[in-house]
Amino acid sequence: MGLTKDQLAQFEQGKVVFKRVFTPENGLGPLFNGNACSECHEDPVAGGVGDEVEVHATRFVPPNTCDPLFQEGGPVIQQNATPLLQAHGIQKEEIPPSATSQARRTTPPVFGFGLIDAIPDETILAYEDPNDKDGDGISGRANRSIDGRLGRFGRKAAVNSLSDFNAGAFPQEQGITTPRLPVEETINGKPVPQGTDPAPDPEISLAEIEQVTNFLRFLAPPPRKFVKDHREQEQVEQGKKIFGKVRCARCHVPEMRTGPSNIQALNKRKVALYSDLLLHDMGPVLADICLDLATPSEFRTELLMGLRFRKHFLHDGRAKTIKEAIEQHGGEAKNSRDAYTALSAKDKEALLKFLETISDLFVPAHDNG
Amino acid sequence: MKIISLFVLFILTATTVFAEQRSEIEQCRSDLIGQTMGGRERCWKFQSPSQIKELVIQNKREDVQKRVYSITLILQDPKVPGKYKAEAQVVYEKVDGQMKIKSVGLISIAKIE
Ligand code: HEC
Ligand code: HEC
Repeated sequence: MGLTKDQLAQFEQGKVVFKRVFTPENGLGPLFNGNACSECHEDPVAGGVGDEVEVHATRFVPPNTCDPLFQEGGPVIQQNATPLLQAHGIQKEEIPPSATSQARRTTPPVFGFGLIDAIPDETILAYEDPNDKDGDGISGRANRSIDGRLGRFGRKAAVNSLSDFNAGAFPQEQGITTPRLPVEETINGKPVPQGTDPAPDPEISLAEIEQVTNFLRFLAPPPRKFVKDHREQEQVEQGKKIFGKVRCARCHVPEMRTGPSNIQALNKRKVALYSDLLLHDMGPVLADICLDLATPSEFRTELLMGLRFRKHFLHDGRAKTIKEAIEQHGGEAKNSRDAYTALSAKDKEALLKFLETISDLFVPAHDNG
Repeated sequence: MKIISLFVLFILTATTVFAEQRSEIEQCRSDLIGQTMGGRERCWKFQSPSQIKELVIQNKREDVQKRVYSITLILQDPKVPGKYKAEAQVVYEKVDGQMKIKSVGLISIAKIE
């Protein structure tokens, strides 16, 4: 539903670039994490989850100063090197010496992210309660990128828009230079040795990056898992109520609406994201790095939109099941977690059943089957 | 007399060159607004001239079709803490007989405060 012929063509073009496998000859590396967007975002189809884990590192000076260590190769630390760079004895980028901590990030699904991109800033900001005025123990505040814009992408919500994320994913994940980042990723701040980067820069055009953004913009949110059995349907309904009752929905906001757009598929659409896209203090056990305004223990409420495609949970994949992920909620989510723990076995089961079906109810922009 | 006129000429030339450079910097500063350099966490969208605390043109390369400035910048946004020093490449291309800004490439950036 919803895409014009022209938009469908952009979607298809973008999918090709998203799946393009780069080699050292056409630009891969010299430092990189993966050779294609779809090497990581791949399961069950392009845009889905992946096994790859990224390494990030930054410098935190309490109480609230964060240095992303751009000049030492941060915050994304590349884990692979092409053979030409390996010949210089370099296998990967090192954790910068000034870093105070490092973090691991699993590959999230990005289905339906065009809708997330199209939610107006004011909608998100309306959920902020930085000083916990309503006294429910849950605050929530927005992150902002270094240039002051509202952040919403990445586990620490440090990136403002889908197009900004993608423009940075090419150089930082694949070592592909772009007109916006025309020089190769440094090796912890040092330029790559001569002769290790044979492809002429920039290695991809702004138009191709825009195509990838259109692919993700039009990539449909995952359809809701359909439950046939009447008894199971009742259980899902019950689970949904409990999700509200134990205040999961306070952070995992079930639904927002996109702003006006001349793209019909994104115009004033409901999106069942199950997130407020804000930062919450999740306690010392989950804490890792700072990023922009986010302190080490603050994370963006993870979207539950693609939950049923995930194989491991929480930012670094430490939870093997949804149940474990809930049990590891701390900080601002402690009361909600305790309320969950206190539920009867039957109610817990209903909640989990509901979580398994979660997805976008409303907007199949385009199916990527 | 001769010496005085030479001196005046020198001052005039110097002022013109200086004024030209100034107006070139001001033009570049205003052209940057609306442009975005970098990506992901390492990204800067120029939203207002007041974010550009300092702009120095380090080098200029130009031919009939294209102009490239190498610039250094001090950047700061009032909504967030932190001040950044950046090197960038501003690329102009001739469209309908006029040089128009095409892209801004981020060469390096570091947090300085
Ligand atoms: C090496 C594996 C890898 C590759 C290659 C890769 N990604 Fe990702 N991607 C990740 C990881 C890991 C994250 C999570 C980062 C974070 O949470 O900070 C991510 C996050 C994202 C997000 C934001 C998701 C969110 O939850 O906010 C987008 C959008 C995205 N990637 C697009 C792309 C595009 C486009 C490409 C190709 C240019 C690409 N990725 C290549 C691993 C990868
Ligand atoms: C205070 C806000 C808050 C509350 C309340 C909250 N969560 Fe979360 N939730 C988060 C944040 C933040 C994350 C990401 C944490 C991380 O990645 O380390 C998360 C992650 C999750 C995940 C893992 C998602 C993934 O794919 O990694 C699940 C599942 C989840 N929450 C379910 C729930 C349920 C069920 C409840 C109610 C019992 C709940 N949450 C209450 C903020 C909250």
